[in-house]
Amino acid sequence: MSGLGSGATVYDARSLPQDDNVNPYSFCVALDGEWFVQKGKMIAYYGRIKFEALGVGALDRLVTANFNSPLYIQDWIVAQGKGQLLLADRGFDVNSYDLEVGNLTIRAANLLAFQPGLDLKQSIVPGFVTLIGTGKFVAASNGAVHFVEPPIRVDPEALLGWADCPTPCHHFDTKYMRGALGMARRLTGLGGASGEEHQYDFVGTGTVLMQSSEISIDPNLIPAQTAQQNQPPGAQNIPGLPNLPGRLGRLLQ
Amino acid sequence: MTFDQLNSKMIEATVRPGQTLYCLRGAMLAYRGEVSFTPTSTGAQGVGGMIGRRLAGESVPLMKAEGDGRVMFGYAGRHVHLIEITGDTLHIEADRLMVFEDSLQQGTMFMGSQGGVRGMIRGQVTGQGLFTTTLTGRGWCAVLAHGGVIELPVQPGRSIHVDPQAYIAHRGQLDNRIGANVGWRDVIGRGSGEAFQLELSGTGTVYVQASEEKL
Repeated sequence: MSGLGSGATVYDARSLPQDDNVNPYSFCVALDGEWFVQKGKMIAYYGRIKFEALGVGALDRLVTANFNSPLYIQDWIVAQGKGQLLLADRGFDVNSYDLEVGNLTIRAANLLAFQPGLDLKQSIVPGFVTLIGTGKFVAASNGAVHFVEPPIRVDPEALLGWADCPTPCHHFDTKYMRGALGMARRLTGLGGASGEEHQYDFVGTGTVLMQSSEISIDPNLIPAQTAQQNQPPGAQNIPGLPNLPGRLGRLLQ
Repeated sequence: MTFDQLNSKMIEATVRPGQTLYCLRGAMLAYRGEVSFTPTSTGAQGVGGMIGRRLAGESVPLMKAEGDGRVMFGYAGRHVHLIEITGDTLHIEADRLMVFEDSLQQGTMFMGSQGGVRGMIRGQVTGQGLFTTTLTGRGWCAVLAHGGVIELPVQPGRSIHVDPQAYIAHRGQLDNRIGANVGWRDVIGRGSGEAFQLELSGTGTVYVQASEEKL
């Protein structure tokens, strides 16, 4: 293998890294069995691998067991077989993480692939999914990932995910809107906003994952997410009434 | 020092009571402690400076970070480079400035005053306009770049030629002039694409990014 400065390294099926990064921007899965993969993130593969859309019958067993999110089912496929599977996402930094009987919540658009040992469920925070169990997963980020510990407040766009700590709450800071000057600012719109009035507030113990940029990977990839759509079917937003899921919500309509 | 580099695209800065950090709006990624972010249109220069900067086209939306805590900054996936200013002056484009301490005085400089008419031509050719932003005093600032940043020293007799698009900032006693190497090939569109170069001579440092992409 050639080193730095002597051109690109040439890999074949045997010399590709096994379950490791090929370079900072692509990851090689040594597939033997099944992996969940986000649509369109496969860039190449060696071996005999079949890609099947979710929810087409043959894979219903896997879906009911591990993929617990009707919202994202259209964005995911299952790679089945044996071989080397290369994953990448538009030149973003790619990293793999291991969970051991753990839980980690991550922005849905940033999750590229995960092992069926993990269960995927929708987080109650819109746009995020939670992985529970034991296994490996691969995620992309705009810039390197930085791990921090609570208490911390993170820009919603720069947040990649969190593990082991309580679900964050919103933090709003509009102190400068108070007082006479603040009133003038609010009325005239002069002075603008800092764009940093809203953060996710993390407390407790755990780990928070951030990316090095406040531009999230692809807002279009997150399915149209409103609080309403993130509710179980049946619940509707009724002005003046609290949102109640399921049957109770329907009764109140 | 209150600025720490976390990785190539992220820095962490300490805010202490009574101190202010000026930062690009939207550049905050996370913070610990009690820090508030207030939009400011006057920057560190007051109202007169604000009007001056508006006229000069060097007005970039800034905000103030005040309070007591640690703030992480990053912007649009750009590389971030920390520069310590020790009593001298840093010349930089306003939109490349991500964070700077209030111990630094921000000013606007007419390019013609450094390099005369050639300086003005330089501003036109590089697309940087006729004005540039200066930071004077003692303190740290964080600068945005596309690709990594290279610091190139300039000594008397050893001037340096820089692609205007890759130029970020400079400090020290430097004369800059635009070197036009335009021939008939450029006129008919068969030029090398490197017709204009920035020549810096004197004593100081030039900061260059590893890309020709403007911010």
